[in-house]
Amino acid sequence: MKKNLLTKSASYLILVIASFFSLFPLFWTFSTSIKNRVDTYVLPPKFFNFDPTLRNYTSLLKIRSFPHIYLNSIFVTLMSTVGCLIFGSLAAYAFARRPKFRGRTALDALMIAVRALPAIVIVLPIYKLSSYLGAYDSVWALILLYIGFNIPFAIWLLTSFFQQIPLEIEEAARVDGASNTRTFIQVILPLAAPGLVATGIFVSLLSWNEFLIPIIMAGENAKTLPVFVASFIANKNLDWGPMAAAATVAMVPIVAFTVFIQRWLVTGLSSGAVKD
Amino acid sequence: MGLVTSLSRKQQRLTRPIAHYTLGAWILLTLTILIPLFYGIYISLLNINLASFLPPQFVGLKNYHTALIAPETWSTLKLTVLLMMMGMTIQIPLGIVLALALHQQLRGTRIFRSILITPMLLTPVAVGLTFRFMFDTDLGIINWFLGRFGIEGVNWLGAQFSGLVAIVIVDSWQSIPFVMLLVLAALSAIPVSLFEAAKVDGASGRQIFRNIMLPLITPTILVIVMIKVMDFLKLFDTIFMLTRGGPGNATTTIGLWTYKTGFQFLELSRAAALGVIILIITFPVYLLWRKSTKVQR
Repeated sequence: MKKNLLTKSASYLILVIASFFSLFPLFWTFSTSIKNRVDTYVLPPKFFNFDPTLRNYTSLLKIRSFPHIYLNSIFVTLMSTVGCLIFGSLAAYAFARRPKFRGRTALDALMIAVRALPAIVIVLPIYKLSSYLGAYDSVWALILLYIGFNIPFAIWLLTSFFQQIPLEIEEAARVDGASNTRTFIQVILPLAAPGLVATGIFVSLLSWNEFLIPIIMAGENAKTLPVFVASFIANKNLDWGPMAAAATVAMVPIVAFTVFIQRWLVTGLSSGAVKD
Repeated sequence: MGLVTSLSRKQQRLTRPIAHYTLGAWILLTLTILIPLFYGIYISLLNINLASFLPPQFVGLKNYHTALIAPETWSTLKLTVLLMMMGMTIQIPLGIVLALALHQQLRGTRIFRSILITPMLLTPVAVGLTFRFMFDTDLGIINWFLGRFGIEGVNWLGAQFSGLVAIVIVDSWQSIPFVMLLVLAALSAIPVSLFEAAKVDGASGRQIFRNIMLPLITPTILVIVMIKVMDFLKLFDTIFMLTRGGPGNATTTIGLWTYKTGFQFLELSRAAALGVIILIITFPVYLLWRKSTKVQR
């Protein structure tokens, strides 16, 4: 009994310390983003005793391209997520319901390859190709690429969701004479709605965070938020306030979604390797 | 009679063709992955320089030869492996410790879990930016904190070893939750009866960990090792934001070196050859990973 108490308090201690380290950088980013310069560059650091200001956020908004970039990020994320869900759910249905079909092994191998490959290997030739195709600096090219890079995750996740739907329900639909497509659209998809939402959030996180593809493929027109955020370090004199504001603006939507998606993270990130 | 029809329906269901459902995925992956991959191999046999207006020529394996005799290829590769080992030494044990703490099912576990996984979801570039000013030598909060323990003025991002440590710290901040989640899933899969039986037999907590948990989570740890190897070969955003591979090439990994070769030195063909070399390095891990996912499915 005494020993149990010891493990318990040790566990709590570990969790509390780890939580502190997890949250502190977030707190520090946010607090730096609402500080004036005098409160930013000062030692000892000011944790709470400063006058908050929105100056850094307004200076961010004054950058003429900022709203355009933010909307770009949202648009690219949404469109690529929709694409991943449409084509991903179709493929996942095949994976979930047929132990064997033509091309299954090959597609499986290709999906794992996408997970294993460093993106630079793929993006470099794409850059060269895009100058022939006129796809450089196009949001649609970004959307297409994001779908290609993220669809394996969508397929893995959705396959595991579809597998949880009992076969009997599907069979009932078939007895009534429904075709494959009708069963898929009218029976499977509605039942897998929570799975579609979880997959959608997961895939949109990947798109929202993507950096290597847009930094190579996007110029001024198609620029996304991570590229904008990264451009802050190009200046010799780093201005922490706007930097922190930019980082905050990029991270806020994610923190908001974290709560919804955590149950499915394991399946998503381990690419179907571990059953939840 | 009813049974017979339902059986034949079942057979019908299993034979109804479905391969065309994967057509969209096939087209997308062909366009975005397969074609670029083969085109990349083709480029690596030419001599394209983005700054040159001369028509590219076929040079055979010359780019590979150049890459293999270049000291940078080997030094950046060595650095990648070093980073990989540093990262795994920190991330895997800490991930296991956190998973064990969460596995106790204490009150508030769910809140702790939510808090602990947040870092892994955040935009790596934004995280890098944040740590960039936290690591500042003169006014950064990390050096201020260390200063209170008598460690003064670490030049985090301006020297090789400390730069690597900084990269590992930031990567760990984002990756430990992932290790933790995978180990936690493996721990939850262990039947409770096994622990109870061990307790009845008078096993200590330490014995339970060593003789029950550890063997049962070993496959998961191997999977984590493979994922980490792949992820360190990929690692780009964090290094790009923290040190840009500097000072000089002191913290440049093979992936970042490929990027620099292509987009700073504009030697596209040489970079493509490096890309193929990375591909070849990744291949054994890829095969192992494929095998292990098959086993667990």
